Amino acid sequence: MTDRAKFIAGITSDLGRTEMLVPSADLATAIFEDAEVARTRATHAVSDASSRSSDLVEHMAESAITSGWKVHRVANPEDAAELIGEICRQKEAKTVLRSTHDVLSTIPLEAAITSFGATLGVTALGDDASSTDRDKARESLFGAEVGITGVDFAIAETGTVVLHPRKGLSRLLSLAPPTHVAVMRPGDVLDSLDELFAMERDDFLSGELAGSMNLISGPSKTADIEGTIVTGIHGPLEVHLVILANS
Amino acid sequence: MKPQTTHFRFKASQTLVNDQIQQSLEHVYTGFHEGRLTAAANTDNWEELRTKGKAIKDHTIAHLDHYLDLLADSVEKNGGHVFFADDAEEARQHILGLAKANDVKTVIKSKSMVSEEMALADALIDAGIEAVETDLGEYIIQLAGETPYHLIAPAVHKSRKDVAALLSDDFKDGDPVPDAVQLTRMARSKLRAVFERADMSVTGVNFAVAESGSIALVTNEGNGRMSTSVPRIHVAVMGMEKIVPSIQDLSTMLRILIRSATGQRISTYVTMVNGPRKPDEEDGPEEFHLVIMNNGRDRLLAETRMRESLNCIRCGACLNACPVYRKVGGHAYGWVYPGPIGSIVSPVLTGLKDASNLPNASSLCGACHSACPVKINIPRMLLELRWRTAEGKVDARERTSSIKERAVWKAWRFGMMGRRRFDLGARVARIMIRPLSRGGWIKKAPPPISGWTVTRDFPLISPKSLKSLLSVRTKHTKRDLD
Repeated sequence: MTDRAKFIAGITSDLGRTEMLVPSADLATAIFEDAEVARTRATHAVSDASSRSSDLVEHMAESAITSGWKVHRVANPEDAAELIGEICRQKEAKTVLRSTHDVLSTIPLEAAITSFGATLGVTALGDDASSTDRDKARESLFGAEVGITGVDFAIAETGTVVLHPRKGLSRLLSLAPPTHVAVMRPGDVLDSLDELFAMERDDFLSGELAGSMNLISGPSKTADIEGTIVTGIHGPLEVHLVILANS
Repeated sequence: MKPQTTHFRFKASQTLVNDQIQQSLEHVYTGFHEGRLTAAANTDNWEELRTKGKAIKDHTIAHLDHYLDLLADSVEKNGGHVFFADDAEEARQHILGLAKANDVKTVIKSKSMVSEEMALADALIDAGIEAVETDLGEYIIQLAGETPYHLIAPAVHKSRKDVAALLSDDFKDGDPVPDAVQLTRMARSKLRAVFERADMSVTGVNFAVAESGSIALVTNEGNGRMSTSVPRIHVAVMGMEKIVPSIQDLSTMLRILIRSATGQRISTYVTMVNGPRKPDEEDGPEEFHLVIMNNGRDRLLAETRMRESLNCIRCGACLNACPVYRKVGGHAYGWVYPGPIGSIVSPVLTGLKDASNLPNASSLCGACHSACPVKINIPRMLLELRWRTAEGKVDARERTSSIKERAVWKAWRFGMMGRRRFDLGARVARIMIRPLSRGGWIKKAPPPISGWTVTRDFPLISPKSLKSLLSVRTKHTKRDLD
């Protein structure tokens, strides 16, 4: 008998049974919701979210402020570039790094950031990156003053930005630099984590999902010294949410 | 961690006379307890969420064997490794083995109560490995060589001055005390350097999702994210009860956990870990290990009257709500888990005989039960444990009551069971007790009840009984009616 089998057999007997009682199929997949119902609800949530996107954006903007994001509304990609350039300039940034999110490729960031002498880099290693490449990339992530990402989703209930790290989106990009700028579009917003998890459940079960997923709601903070809330303990001191209007 | 549950009275009385700690403990109330109440009031379906949370946990624990099996399969499918540890020693040896086999030099630790059970940081340091706590509160506690004071605010009893002295060797008595922002910046730069060189991380697990093999980490500081981004190896440790069946249950559990812990709608970071990084990812650990530990939890599971304690999600709300915790502080409880939940868990995990003071450190006011996001009936289990220490019926070795104490209670019971006996006893007590009182209180009772007044005052019995007062009143009422 393996250690695992022994451990689990012990639990079975502690529960007063002689063999494992597997809950009925529905229970095994989602206790309070049938998997099919969840999927339908998720599909509706997405189409519903896009039809209500303007309400959801208002809700998101409000919640994001409560969570500690500095929220900016911009009308077009040019204004977004100007705003982000200005944030980087104020932070006296020398190195700015960005992800390969689609929304960022529509924004003329390069000009805005090089205009005051900083450099803009993209964090994207190949599959076959050597460990030296990875060490170098990490060093530059820890050295950068600003990290710019898109959002994979935004959650209106809690003012949360969802990021799925992948090729072109380092885990550290939204964590190591002291300032993080996230750019979202109205169609990115969902009501709550319920919709997010319902929608992504199949991905979670496939085993194909990236090694981590991050829900980010404001700047890094602590209250461990006399209960005083201080931002910027391990992660960013300042986080900006740029809401780019639909063109 | 070695239990020191026998020291309850000593540690509690030390804390009661420490003004600085009493002041710090105020924050537990104004910061966390009131924050939770506001968060609950601002959540439309709060009671519904609690009911759902309880149902999820009840169901999971009732099928724990199945969900552990499913979890292990799912983690392995994601490319992670699972280790089942019967006790803290096995878990500790496994993690030490991993560190040695991979030539690990620096381990960054995120806050994890389970790793406190293993005294893991000390074990790593003893093995010659740099092991640094990275949650700011835990870091302060590690520098002080102490144990956590609170489930989510480990250093709540430390003043700014204490922290300054711990963070800087140059800080001297009489120097101006830096503010919280300056102290946080000092810690940030010290810990940044550690993060950059870390090759292994150890984190706890807030929830493990059985169906997907994901674990959720809830942090405000971002150390949990550093732990899952920088080092080559990530080891997550969990008590075997920390499971939810499906990814959808997670949104309910996160809602109630975070609101109950700090009053926030969500913590700054919720990090989901689904195994090691995929080949095309930019960064993240190459190896992911999940250590699932029993360490006596099987006893809580097997005793149906204690099983509900495994529903605990470690939010700390019962500590903040508890009038006893807020006075005696976290160290009095003598083991990893303080407060009301500690008073029911520690005795079973570490031995009831030594911990027999813990179930008695409660007024049974029920504040913990009302605060609990998964509705654990803590007072009922406190009574259960009191009954065991009094009677020794479950295990005679657990009995801590003396023959004298039992005789007094027997006499008490006899007296209370008959109307005449009760009246007579009360009359005698009224007469006998009067000369002993000072200002309406008896501070020192004679034997056989002298033990009771060592830590308590006994109120003087009122000169007239309720019964005699009522009979006079009834007469008056009758006369008025006539």
